[in-house]
Amino acid sequence: MADSYRQTTQAKLARMGIYAMLFLLALWFLAPLYVMLTTSFKSLDDIRSGNLLSLPQSFSLDAWKTAWDSACTGVECGGMKSYFGNSLKMMIPAVLISTLLGSLNGYVLSMWRFKGSDAFFMALLIGTFLPFQVVILPMAQVLGMLGLENSTGRLVLVHVIYGLQFTTLFFRNYYVTVPSDLVKAARIDGAGFFLFFFKILLPISIPTIMVCLIWQTTQIWNDFLFGVVFSSGDGQPITVALNNLVNTSTGVKQYNVDMAAAIIAALPTLLVYIVGGKFFVRGLTAGAVKG
Amino acid sequence: MGALSIRKVKKSYGDTHILKGIDLEIENGQFLILVGPSGCGKSTLLNMIAGLDDITSGEIYIADRLVNNLSPKDRDIAMVFQSYALYPNMTVRRNIAFGLEIRKVPKIEQDEIINRVAKTLQMEHLLDRKPAQLSGGQRQRVAMGRALARNPALFLFDEPLSNLDAKLRVEMRTEIKLLHQRLGTTIVYVTHDQIEAMTLGERIAVMKEGEVRQFGTPQQLYDLPSDLYVAGFIGSPSMNFIPCVLGEADGVGVVTLNNGKDQLISLGQISDIQRPFVGKPVILGIRPEQLTDPASAHSDHPNMQILTAMVTITEPTGPDTLVTVNINGVKTVARCHPRAAGVPGQSVQLSLDPTKALLFDPVSEKRLA
Repeated sequence: MADSYRQTTQAKLARMGIYAMLFLLALWFLAPLYVMLTTSFKSLDDIRSGNLLSLPQSFSLDAWKTAWDSACTGVECGGMKSYFGNSLKMMIPAVLISTLLGSLNGYVLSMWRFKGSDAFFMALLIGTFLPFQVVILPMAQVLGMLGLENSTGRLVLVHVIYGLQFTTLFFRNYYVTVPSDLVKAARIDGAGFFLFFFKILLPISIPTIMVCLIWQTTQIWNDFLFGVVFSSGDGQPITVALNNLVNTSTGVKQYNVDMAAAIIAALPTLLVYIVGGKFFVRGLTAGAVKG
Repeated sequence: MGALSIRKVKKSYGDTHILKGIDLEIENGQFLILVGPSGCGKSTLLNMIAGLDDITSGEIYIADRLVNNLSPKDRDIAMVFQSYALYPNMTVRRNIAFGLEIRKVPKIEQDEIINRVAKTLQMEHLLDRKPAQLSGGQRQRVAMGRALARNPALFLFDEPLSNLDAKLRVEMRTEIKLLHQRLGTTIVYVTHDQIEAMTLGERIAVMKEGEVRQFGTPQQLYDLPSDLYVAGFIGSPSMNFIPCVLGEADGVGVVTLNNGKDQLISLGQISDIQRPFVGKPVILGIRPEQLTDPASAHSDHPNMQILTAMVTITEPTGPDTLVTVNINGVKTVARCHPRAAGVPGQSVQLSLDPTKALLFDPVSEKRLA
């Protein structure tokens, strides 16, 4: 009796220790966000007089307004808003196209294998290991040859090409777990290549589609390197604009505006994770458990 | 009218020959079983009938129509798969309707068909469920319903029961047979289970290594197997194969069986095919139930042969006991009445029905008839 009692108290203590640890770690990881948020609501005087962790003395949205529509990024002083739009215009088509093409690729590579399809898949896999820097030069040459002038168009193309190996991999790995009898049954029912794909395969791929959407959204939205290399002037994505805003040094450094702009730039990906995180985990494990 | 006719069908991948010339023919309303171990080509053959696999050479006719170059949907067939292959995103109703929609069957007619099929298979209450909400047996039923809805010339079953547990398998087996009798459908059914083959089939094709070893009725296969492979594959426990030397006495074939001492057994009139083997080694094939205690033997046959043998092991199965004895150096199983089974170490008398005993050529493995 005494033993079991001691053990339960011990277990309780251990559990409390674990929770305390987790709580401290959570605080540690949330600290930068806290600093960014509080700083963005402070006035410049407040920032200079107070310390980093203090709460704003007077709550002000001025920095957010400035960041959104009047902060200077280089010579232009129109804030982040047009660049936010640029990023959206680039991200949405790039994500949708790469996801759709990836699912088609995965479908062919798992259910309509052809001579050399495995070699083709291996080549795609190698693509997932290629760092951005390696493809910049050849990509620039190809874009030059294509004569594509529009910044958004160029970035959509680049991101679709670069994202395709990932989306193909996700879909292919899910589709190999789908029994091949399903295709056979559909063929006997008279469903062709696309009818089976759109009526049966895509509807059961929702977890994988979610993974691809989340993955591609964060990849494309957060990309800086392709953005800075392949776009110019007012066609730049928000990550490049943020860099320009923070590095523009005329007069006083406006930390509150920098912080607000950084949060604006990070907001969509944060949102995607909060809304879709559950699907992301479910989709990643969907291939592991059959059915 | 021939429902299905397979003529000299071959399948090769480069130098690998999967099917080496298959000839099969069944009539309307017959139940054909393709049975054999895995890798014998039975599923490949079924896929070729369905049009899911290319034919390397040869011809396949369904309802007297050459289908070699027709796509699966134009062959007038329906198929039931081992994994059921139900569309997971659709309800049972939509699963059945999918093929009808593609064929542009009018909506009212679709509903009629679905209701008829659901009634036939007693699954009206399942129509609005998704496959994930069904048990294994129910999924099997839906898969059969989807095939029935088509009302095709030919039904193809690809090991449909092997994912079910043992009890359900027996139930569904009976149900398939009942359905076949009621609807008079023509069925090609692939299985690796010889009991399933025997209980369901009207015609059985035993396949091995891309060839049909024997094609016949279940009873033909059981009583007169064409070779050692078929003899050993059909029946459980399987046929005893006893090596011995064929002799002849007054036109009657005799063999010597040894269990401690030689015992001469006469088998009946020797045939012309058997005669050249006199004095040479042959294999005597005898099923366990034709080697039994004298009281259980059907003793109406005047030449019932009796031999004595020492029991090495007994395995009671309930209705009778399997008694293992050693004859000519090989383990031989006899099926005896539990009270006459004896105990290990004891000598028992076994009676052998010479009219049922078969002789095989040990080299070609063919039956000598």
